[in-house]
Amino acid sequence: MEQKILIVDDEAHIRMLIEQTLEELEDEEVTFLTADNGEDALEIISSEKPQLVFLDVMMPKMNGMEVCRRVKKELVLDDVYIVLLTAKGQEVDRLKGQEVGADVYMTKPFDPESILQKARTVLGLV
Amino acid sequence: MARISLKNILSGKTAESALISSLIEQLNAAVFIEDVNRNVLLGKGTAVVNDSQPVTMDGETIGWVKCNEQVPVIASLLNLMIQKEAEKKKIASEVLLLYQEVNMIFNFSEKLAQTIGQTSIATITLDEAGRLIKSDNGLILLWDEDSNQIEAPASFGKPLFNEEKLKTHIDLLLSISKSGQSDIMSDLSALQDAGLISPDVQSLVYAALKVKHRVMGAIILARAEPVQYSAADLKFLITLALQSSSAIESALLYEKNIREAKEKEEAMRLIYEVTNKFVPHEFIRSLGRDVITDVRLGDQVEKIVTVLFSDIRDYTTLAEQMTPEENFRFVSSFNERIGPIIREHRGFINQYLGDAIMAIFPGKASDALAAAIQMHQAVQEFNAERALHNESQIKIGVGMHTGPLIMGITGDRDRLDATTIADTVNTASRLEGLTKHYKVDILLSESSVHHLADREAFHLRHLGPVQVKGKKAAIHIYECFNGSNEQDLHKKLHSLPLFTEGMSDYLNKSFHEATNKFYRALEIFPEDKTARLFLGKASHCMVEGISESWTGVEEIHSK
Repeated sequence: MEQKILIVDDEAHIRMLIEQTLEELEDEEVTFLTADNGEDALEIISSEKPQLVFLDVMMPKMNGMEVCRRVKKELVLDDVYIVLLTAKGQEVDRLKGQEVGADVYMTKPFDPESILQKARTVLGLV
Repeated sequence: MARISLKNILSGKTAESALISSLIEQLNAAVFIEDVNRNVLLGKGTAVVNDSQPVTMDGETIGWVKCNEQVPVIASLLNLMIQKEAEKKKIASEVLLLYQEVNMIFNFSEKLAQTIGQTSIATITLDEAGRLIKSDNGLILLWDEDSNQIEAPASFGKPLFNEEKLKTHIDLLLSISKSGQSDIMSDLSALQDAGLISPDVQSLVYAALKVKHRVMGAIILARAEPVQYSAADLKFLITLALQSSSAIESALLYEKNIREAKEKEEAMRLIYEVTNKFVPHEFIRSLGRDVITDVRLGDQVEKIVTVLFSDIRDYTTLAEQMTPEENFRFVSSFNERIGPIIREHRGFINQYLGDAIMAIFPGKASDALAAAIQMHQAVQEFNAERALHNESQIKIGVGMHTGPLIMGITGDRDRLDATTIADTVNTASRLEGLTKHYKVDILLSESSVHHLADREAFHLRHLGPVQVKGKKAAIHIYECFNGSNEQDLHKKLHSLPLFTEGMSDYLNKSFHEATNKFYRALEIFPEDKTARLFLGKASHCMVEGISESWTGVEEIHSK
């Protein structure tokens, strides 16, 4: 079954790095989608229903918290697993992340190993 | 090398896929794209194609474009796309490696930031180095600039260095830890010939721990396998060493600061303790302050206190027989005995004035009197010791008075003093002076007597009114003789009723009776100099007569 991962970050190199980290999943029929802002991300989530979203918190237009809130509280897409990404040192966001319904919370700079591990677990590709 | 899957490019929703599809459509040609295993990835229908062009990546065929001759352009386009994609992936994977390094350094910094001690920092650094750079032995050497000694706060694996030899080859080791260099050592023969490192060691890498130009030591890693460390390993080790160096430097500074702070604290405590001895804490507390640094010029408080004055009798004569140094030692030795007695009775010494002591008792008047009695007992013990050394006996007189007293801080901005200002002090001092006149040990004012809660506990004799120099009103004074030796005490008590009656008769101008009573009292206690004094006064009045204004008030004109 084809599965989709959406990577949302306004910084191109972060999108590229996450994609590169998860590269080996391409062989297991995983497609990568990307967005560089919250609004686009919300649109893609609604139409494509990815299984997993890596969502940066600090973004222009609509921030990650808001995207997460709309997906979980308004669209009620419980099957979309959302990983919130925040810069280290801004861990106070953790509580807010839980409030808006994020499934898990990770910090940047991220540890590539744990990102890959998380994706495999969520997609059932262990 | 990054892998590119033709299938991934052509399937899904990639821009590349859309472009190729639209091109094939516009060319209206039969084109099939197959993967390396001849599975069709794009193209439909059963048209016959006569050409087959390979799609390659770095010379390796990863698929085929089958088409007619007029459209090899599709194969070229696909090849170009693959090449671009491959380049992108290659850069991405290199960046990812760098990112992992950044992440590692970030985590390492974070760990360091949470670590304080020099040894813990060394341990964390070596753990991280050993985890990232495969090694069999590891060691951190720190060089102490002051002592020129080397210590090893962290290590793993078999001991890298022979400790015994280490001591004899300290210079060689110093040359590594002090060199400030970082390098991969391929030729270990010098170290091994000296027996300094284990012969197992095949490869060694070290990085200097230094801050700016100050070399603190080195991290050393070694392998037993003949696999040389790489330049990347060295770069990594240098990065760790750099981070660790500043952390160690901070730790050293931190430890130094703590040590200095403790020393300062200790110095402050000593100053505080000494200051306490100069200005008693009770004084400070009476002013409503906790510590002397809180005290301000102008602080003052008025209280009812008992002031006690003590003086060594005939000290001037005594002092003349001593050198200044002996004098000082004598007074010190005396004061050392008296000070604790004052404090035991909740008083504090306001001032030492040579051989005189002025003490204040903020609480009960009986505290002061009990202290005065004990002071006399202490003097008796002191005399017993002096007798053993053939030294002359000393006597003290104690005067006390209870009344209001202002304690305060006077002086100017740059020179403060804790002072007491009151008539009470003067009166107490005068009473002390009168002990010689009345031939008694302890004299207290009527005010002090009135303030005695347990008057019965003390043996008192009323000595009539006295007018001291500089005072308008006369005050009644009392002798306390609890401090007398046992024999005298007994006789004084026995003669007390006669003495009291004699005093009463004397003040009532019944001088004949008074003379008789004092005479009889002296029969009981012939050495009673006070009774003898009043016998003299009474008989004088009886024989010479008195003026009309006579009130019995003793006028003292000398101090």
